[in-house]
Amino acid sequence: MADKHTNLIVSAAPHVCNPTDTATIMRDVVIALIPALAVSTYVFGIRAILMTVICAAACVFFEWASRKIMHRENTIGDWSAIVTGVILAFNLPVGMPFWMAIIGCFVAIVVVKQIFGGLGQNFANPAIVGRIALFIGFATPMTTWSVTKNMSQAIINNAGVDAVTGATPLAMWNAGAELPSNLEMFLGTINGSLGEVSALALLIGGIYLVVRKVISPAIPCAFIGTVAVLSLIMGFDPIFQVCAGGVMLGAIFMATDYVTSPITTSGRIIFGIGCGIITMLIRAYASYPEGVSFAILLMNILTPHIDSITRSKLNGVEKKGAKK
Amino acid sequence: MKKSKLQILTNGIIKENPVLVLVLGTCPTLAISTQAINGIGMGACVLVVLTCSNIIISALKKIIPDTVRIPCYITVIATFVTIVQLVLKAYAPALDKALGVYIPLIVVNCIILGRAEAFANKNSVVDSALDGIGMGLGYTLTATVMACIRELIGSGTLFGATITANLFSPFTILIMAPGGFFVFGCLIALVNKLTKGKVKEKRVNKCLTCPGAEFCNEVQEGGCDK
Amino acid sequence: MSSGKHLKGVHVNHSKNTAGMPIIPMPVPERVYIPMSMHIGAPCQPVVAKGDHVKVGQLIGDCDKPVSAPIHSSVSGDVESIEQFMTQNGRVDTNIVIKTDGKQEIAETVVPPVINSREDFIKAVRASGLVGLGGASFPMSIKYNTKPGQVDTLILNGAECEPYITVDHAAMLAYAQDMVDGMRTIMKWLDIPRGIIGIESNKPDAIAKFNEILAGSTDISVCTLRQVYPQGAERVIIYECTGRHLIAGKLPADVGCIVSNVTSVLKLQQFLTTGMPLTTKFLTVDGNIVAKPQNVEVPIGTMICDLIEHCGGLTGEVKKILLGGPMMGRAIPRDDFAILKSNNAVLCFDEKFAAQRKETACINCGRCVAGCPMNLMPARLSRAFKDKDIDALREYNVMSCMDCGCCAYSCPARKQLNFEIKQAKTLVMEDDKKKKAKAEAAAAKEAAKAAEAEAAKAAAEAKEGGNK
Repeated sequence: MADKHTNLIVSAAPHVCNPTDTATIMRDVVIALIPALAVSTYVFGIRAILMTVICAAACVFFEWASRKIMHRENTIGDWSAIVTGVILAFNLPVGMPFWMAIIGCFVAIVVVKQIFGGLGQNFANPAIVGRIALFIGFATPMTTWSVTKNMSQAIINNAGVDAVTGATPLAMWNAGAELPSNLEMFLGTINGSLGEVSALALLIGGIYLVVRKVISPAIPCAFIGTVAVLSLIMGFDPIFQVCAGGVMLGAIFMATDYVTSPITTSGRIIFGIGCGIITMLIRAYASYPEGVSFAILLMNILTPHIDSITRSKLNGVEKKGAKK
Repeated sequence: MKKSKLQILTNGIIKENPVLVLVLGTCPTLAISTQAINGIGMGACVLVVLTCSNIIISALKKIIPDTVRIPCYITVIATFVTIVQLVLKAYAPALDKALGVYIPLIVVNCIILGRAEAFANKNSVVDSALDGIGMGLGYTLTATVMACIRELIGSGTLFGATITANLFSPFTILIMAPGGFFVFGCLIALVNKLTKGKVKEKRVNKCLTCPGAEFCNEVQEGGCDK
Repeated sequence: MSSGKHLKGVHVNHSKNTAGMPIIPMPVPERVYIPMSMHIGAPCQPVVAKGDHVKVGQLIGDCDKPVSAPIHSSVSGDVESIEQFMTQNGRVDTNIVIKTDGKQEIAETVVPPVINSREDFIKAVRASGLVGLGGASFPMSIKYNTKPGQVDTLILNGAECEPYITVDHAAMLAYAQDMVDGMRTIMKWLDIPRGIIGIESNKPDAIAKFNEILAGSTDISVCTLRQVYPQGAERVIIYECTGRHLIAGKLPADVGCIVSNVTSVLKLQQFLTTGMPLTTKFLTVDGNIVAKPQNVEVPIGTMICDLIEHCGGLTGEVKKILLGGPMMGRAIPRDDFAILKSNNAVLCFDEKFAAQRKETACINCGRCVAGCPMNLMPARLSRAFKDKDIDALREYNVMSCMDCGCCAYSCPARKQLNFEIKQAKTLVMEDDKKKKAKAEAAAAKEAAKAAEAEAAKAAAEAKEGGNK
């Protein structure tokens, strides 16, 4: 008889797997965020990059430190902290003091993510809660927008603010001031949070993610579509509403966060529509000029319920309970 | 097991802290702990009411019929709360204003009713008094610590004195509801760590989740190292 | 494809390195080890004794239970011993060890069966020793023993959706005519009006071959399947070919179908024409360290190590040996197991392939849901299993899982989802058993009580009657 081989590895099937793992997914998200970062660097200057890098580094540090303190396995290798950091930075005004941004990172990573058990266990998108905590905690710096390089003097005068700060298009819209053109809004030569200014760049990133099958287009389409339809109904300019504020960034990068969005396509569509409705309601009726982050946070909390009502049905079984 | 007098007194401070371990009376605690002075004031009020009502209820425990004990407790407690509120109104109107509705609400505070039900109606007057003081101190301590943290970070002051408010802008979310819950959670975690220490890890039979189990001879013997 | 819809699945790398290689018979090894349980159902009992001389095709094990298949010697030689040891299924089983004489004399019993009726046909199928050769190893005689008129479609499964395996493909190219003849025979005796041959579109030559043979005939058609794993799974191929859904707990016959692997039908046809029962098995031997990957015809009972030796041995240190494809195949701890009727591939891999992938946290990405052909939610099932929440497991239809592995394949967190679901199924089944026992006990108690009351009543009546 031939040589025997013993002590082979026994493991459960399947013995092959898709090369995509969590780290490659997160890496793709970071890659998809690069165009938006490039545009904001062009619009706001080098501080945009600095802010992004600091937030990402702070998130990675907090992730590492909290895992260490809790005696858990180190998880910074999955890139998820970097994604959170970059997205959080994209949600901040570029002139924000760095230490405040770091507090936001602390809230995002430690409070929202690690205390709830780390990646996959957080009930809401860490970056969004980080942003909201900063927004509520440091209201003034979070709404102090530094002037972009090519912002016209007329807009500043109309918005009635001093020479070093400008207003976001949404704030101007709320105040009834003269608005930038839709082309400017689309390209991103406007004021706003660091990463949300250029709809075009975010769209490029979104298309990259869809092509790489990282995200399904259900949530962004439902979200953006609802915003556009509701603006039409409410009598606003849909293109302006879609390109202004955080709708693009929120719809493509934050609402599609796997952990806090529904798992089935029908659930994702409901989720996207819900985000769109809440966003438009806040914009039109609430005192805040922008409601994307609140909308996503609220829908994040609803996600388990959406999941339970949109369970995928078994093949060949029409009604629930029809099968024995 | 009979506890010593000292144990009864210290019990409420950490080991059976009414807010952080028994999780009673959280609503007023979260609401008033925005300023350190409020924490101390509220704590003092609770301390007085709790001690007095514990003494009276313990003294009357044989007289109070079991079926109507809760209304009786509430009557006793309400009496002391009224006294405390009138005293506050007379001597510390600012504190009274700051605590507002939470002073009358002490009447239905779970801590006081809870101690009356769980301790005072089963123990002697002295023990009940000590329990009231201990629990009251525990409450005061918790409310004050929470309030100090929230005031310092949330508005940059401590007992009204400016500490860091001029250096950088305070993180105002801490004096709002979410911040309250966050500090509350952190303190509960801290107390759990202090009292219970490390959580024991559950031991699982790894063979049940081992794909090689069906070929394995060690299954019956309670698992292998793999 | 009767409907435009398809079941979900995943795209896997085919790695069909041995595609196009013909099936070469392997010389008989020195000894064969034939276990008595190669099918689902009751194990067989040896009908030969130590020292007996056996010939190829001779019956050596049988069982009178209905769900079983007889076992035949794959070689000629002497029964060296009858021993108990572990087989590749992880069970300790009775094995007949035969020392071969190399003459491969054919047994006298090997004569084509005479078939005049449906019953004769079923009897012949049982006598052939055939089990589902696709891997399920369900006795074929049971599968074919359907109520007359119940089945209207015979599906020939030539999907071969697992990576690496090419042996069905090779068999289809070599024996297409026999397969079609076999199908016609089955359809004739079981009175099935329609035959469909399902082949994945990555085997265009096989499709062309069948189309050529079937040109002009209306009874049998070829259905080209998409290149999506798992097209070869019974429930998937039934849906793709007929548009019917097979629900868990039902048999294909319940939806009017019989699904047979291409080699099963081929072997049946060979048995009906020559009388030679199932004694050899077509196998793909492949993997990144096999010196000469190839398709071989192996006598059943051959040791895996002998087979690997025949294929040129190994070029590196083997760390993992799979029986079957990498998606559903089993990893075995040693290579001194015998080849069974249900095996269709032996794949050997080195350290690099065998490296265990580290499991990370579920990120709720939904890839498992998007890949599940049964439309389950594996991530939810996994969570319910961790919580040991049997009600939730039932709610999310755990029993409908067919173990195809699409979820685990596509999981970016590398969670062993289908393994967890497999364990969850056991959990639910145990719970079912417990509940049933409890209900039975309660019913028995109730019955006893009723009987007692009845007796008391009767006694009282009797007493009353007596008093009167």
